[in-house]
Amino acid sequence: MKRIAAIAAALLLIIPSLLLFAGCSNDERVLRVFNWEEYISEEDDPESGSIDIIAAFEEEYGVTVEYSTFGTNENMYNELQINPGGYDLVCPSDYMIMKMIDEDMVEPFSDEFLQNGTYSQHVSPYIADLFESNGWTQYAAAYMWGTMGYVYNPNLVDVEDLTSWAGIWNEKYRSKSTIKDSVRDSYFLGVAYVYRDELTALAQRHAGGELNDEEYNAQITSIMNRTDQETLDRVADALIELKSLLYGFEVDSGKQDMITGKITINFCWSGDGVYAMDEAEPFTDDDGVYHDGIYLNYVVPDECTNIWFDGWVMPKGADTELAEAFINFLSRPENAIANMNYIGYTSAIAGDEVFDEMVDWYGEGEEGDVDENGDPLVPYDINYFFEGTGEYDDYSIWVSEESLSRQVSAQYPTEEVILRSAVMANFDNETNALVNDMWEQVKSQPVPVGAYVTIAVIAAAVLVIVLTYLYRGKRSAAKPKKGYRRAD
Amino acid sequence: MTSLRFSRKQLCIPYALFLILFVVIPMLMILFYAFTVSTPDGIRFSFSNLVNFFTSEAKLSTLLMSFTIAIISTAVCLVIAYPIAYILARSKLKKKQVLLMIFILPMWINFVLRITALRELLNAIGLLESHNYLCTIIGMVYDFLPFMILPLYTSLEKLDNSYLEAAADLGGNKFNVFTKITFPLSMPGVISGITMVFMPSMTNYVVSDTLSNFNITILGKQIDQYFTTYYDWHMGSMISIILLVIIFLSMLLTGGFKDSKNDARGANLW
Repeated sequence: MKRIAAIAAALLLIIPSLLLFAGCSNDERVLRVFNWEEYISEEDDPESGSIDIIAAFEEEYGVTVEYSTFGTNENMYNELQINPGGYDLVCPSDYMIMKMIDEDMVEPFSDEFLQNGTYSQHVSPYIADLFESNGWTQYAAAYMWGTMGYVYNPNLVDVEDLTSWAGIWNEKYRSKSTIKDSVRDSYFLGVAYVYRDELTALAQRHAGGELNDEEYNAQITSIMNRTDQETLDRVADALIELKSLLYGFEVDSGKQDMITGKITINFCWSGDGVYAMDEAEPFTDDDGVYHDGIYLNYVVPDECTNIWFDGWVMPKGADTELAEAFINFLSRPENAIANMNYIGYTSAIAGDEVFDEMVDWYGEGEEGDVDENGDPLVPYDINYFFEGTGEYDDYSIWVSEESLSRQVSAQYPTEEVILRSAVMANFDNETNALVNDMWEQVKSQPVPVGAYVTIAVIAAAVLVIVLTYLYRGKRSAAKPKKGYRRAD
Repeated sequence: MTSLRFSRKQLCIPYALFLILFVVIPMLMILFYAFTVSTPDGIRFSFSNLVNFFTSEAKLSTLLMSFTIAIISTAVCLVIAYPIAYILARSKLKKKQVLLMIFILPMWINFVLRITALRELLNAIGLLESHNYLCTIIGMVYDFLPFMILPLYTSLEKLDNSYLEAAADLGGNKFNVFTKITFPLSMPGVISGITMVFMPSMTNYVVSDTLSNFNITILGKQIDQYFTTYYDWHMGSMISIILLVIIFLSMLLTGGFKDSKNDARGANLW
């Protein structure tokens, strides 16, 4: 026995050291990046304009990139807890960045990066201001950003219904809409629904000049981050009611289900909206064959929206020099464009090159031109995002009237939408637990009557069987006659 | 100790190591997590997870849902699988192994792929939109049917024909022969089939997520949520332990019907 134990102990000692050796086989510098799934341009395809960014970075810097992906902020956070020091660069969303900063999990950027980095030079002033006012500049570099809204099929959905978040709480669209299977996003939707009257009243006061822009935005943000017990209860009820009207929840299938027509309304992130609209619209392929499709639309309801960001942060213990180099590499306009092209989301990088690309994608002409129907083109004003990052005087894309509710509106929200958009705050652990309880309740309700009936029938059946068995057992035990012996 | 000599006992070392590393230690860790809570001052022993489970409406509803889905799926599997296994086992076909293989064939295709394909199929016939429970049960049955057919087939195939002949000689009609001889003798197969279908269908949340559009939460999904989304490993571990106890109890219950003589026949896969 002793020998077995000794061998076992020896094996236990040997295995980890073997693994260590396997890990140290090269002394090349390694950058370990942890990003969302499908969130970077991964293919060299000159035709569509995408590049294999990771390979390009590896080649230019002579390093190896270990690239891994996650599906939700929570998964990412979990992984960082289990494997501290395991990554040099991660890409969480706004509230998770706040949580990580609060918990002192991230390294600050160097002064060189903040003052002279490609990122600092090219980032949109709008994004830079927003990061500065929230105190994130030191720790996080914006990657992609956008709003939340409904992408819908205008042939089957009345857009008037979707001017309010309450649009999907409607018998008319029963089993035709999906929302995200995500606590934070769905909570946001619930809060917007519950306080829609209050939010509309705010909008009227703002329109009437009673509130200025900052006050209006601050009040919306404070409402959208409410977590008192009353709000939680009302949101739970609202979402349980909504659940009975939904087609279902989705993690990643919403885009596809919109394209295939399973559903007609999807509560989505703007970038997914762009993707769905791109994929669904009719097109003519290289051989000149016309493929039928539908023009989907995107709308941000009138009450408010969530403005979200995904940003790069460097966890404690990261190789900050290389991580900063990677952020700067991603921030080169040509790489930012490749990423936008590949994943459909909107980069935080501005500048004339990016703007030209947008005009190339969405522009339908110049001032004074007309569209197919002979109607004059209208300007889509995105000066707030590009102003000061290039040489042009006016950053407006001229598009037809219909296009105003298509891709371009999801790619860059208008300034008016920005005004009514709230940033999600980070909830503390206690609040988070309460919100999670709310979500768990939503996900487990309602239990159909059939379940109780089935359980009752099964319980009765089990009882009957057990009783019969016990009864039989007794009877057969009493049976043997005198002089008879069991032959075992 | 001059040379290393291996006795037969030592051949079990690889398995023992495996068992300790991947079964015993994780189990102990789950137990540890289940009966502790994280507080700002550190980890503390507590029964609060247990109390929380049995006082939370959401968790009890989930338990009830998983139970119902598992029971119905198992029952449907049994009803479908028994006749098939019976016909297969009693048939005089020479190539019945081939026939059996056809039933097992779907298991060779990746299961996530199969369920995704099933989703499209159910959508095409119009069930996906609003029949969440039906779709989930169809998915579970589709996925676990081979696990029911196999043990049933094994136990029915080994059934000695002379018992049936004797029963018929003694005046039993076909119905009596089946209820008094065939069915009782195939009981080990039925039980191992039930255990192999019932347990996974309480936790296989890929099926319930995909086919109910995330409308139905079963216990497996809830455990996953606690580990990945809510970041509460303590509660997640507690639900795992409770699930384990439920499965253990249901095995005890079904085990009660086992005939000790039939165990030796080896038809019982468990």
